Amino acid sequence: MNQETEINLEKEGDITVFDIQRDVTAFSESVFSKAYQDADNQGTKKILLKFYEDAYINSGGIAILIQLLAKTRKNNQLICIAGLSSHFKKIFNMVGITKFAKIYNTVYEAVAVIAGES
Amino acid sequence: MKTKKIKMVQMLDDHAIEVSLPNKLGDERIAMECSASFAKIVGFLPERIEDLKTAVSEACLNAMEHGNKNHPETRVIINMNYRDHVFSVTVMDQGEGIQDFPHDIEQPDIDKKIENLQTPRGLGMFLIKRLVDQVEFNQITAEGHMVRMVLRLTG
Repeated sequence: MNQETEINLEKEGDITVFDIQRDVTAFSESVFSKAYQDADNQGTKKILLKFYEDAYINSGGIAILIQLLAKTRKNNQLICIAGLSSHFKKIFNMVGITKFAKIYNTVYEAVAVIAGES
Repeated sequence: MKTKKIKMVQMLDDHAIEVSLPNKLGDERIAMECSASFAKIVGFLPERIEDLKTAVSEACLNAMEHGNKNHPETRVIINMNYRDHVFSVTVMDQGEGIQDFPHDIEQPDIDKKIENLQTPRGLGMFLIKRLVDQVEFNQITAEGHMVRMVLRLTG
């Protein structure tokens, strides 16, 4: 019943966008690790996680995202989030993710803000 | 060889639905979507339905992973009931519950999780508590261990 996560890396100027398709669960760990490794190998300093409104994200998936935030923090990379439904904005706020990754409504809005940040 | 047929979703009466899931991660989505459809029919707003979906999903995941300890031959039974503007959901596993169940479900410490001083997991019960109007964890019955969650239809 799980729909395996797929992440496509896209570039928006100096920002690496993780285009995250399907479920984000505990099974997503290897997909997120590979995406991060590829982005890090490219020397990225800014990462934008692009979600979709109908995404299914459970606590196992949130744990994977927390691990990703930890890696970006360790490597002094900026990370932010766009495209979440209002429900998951609330959830991410509840668990404290917003302390380490700012949430924007759209990719366009996120890119406009973080493109200028150093 | 005869195989035993198990009904996955049953309407018990006009007010109650039972879902019987195999202990397989991912299948919690069946209970989640079933609860969402039921809640929509009885008049819950989309925002509360999303809360319910996450709560049901997290309770099922806990039942599969911690209650049934990922044993594939076990099942998770979800009962949904709507009466007098109260939507209640019980999620039952075949485990024995937690002996020293914490009195208080603490807010996750995101700083410790980021610094790898605390596991990034363990968010399920916290989310359930925050998303439903009432929850009773660790209820031990003759059939197994159960979590009961309640959402009230208001307004």
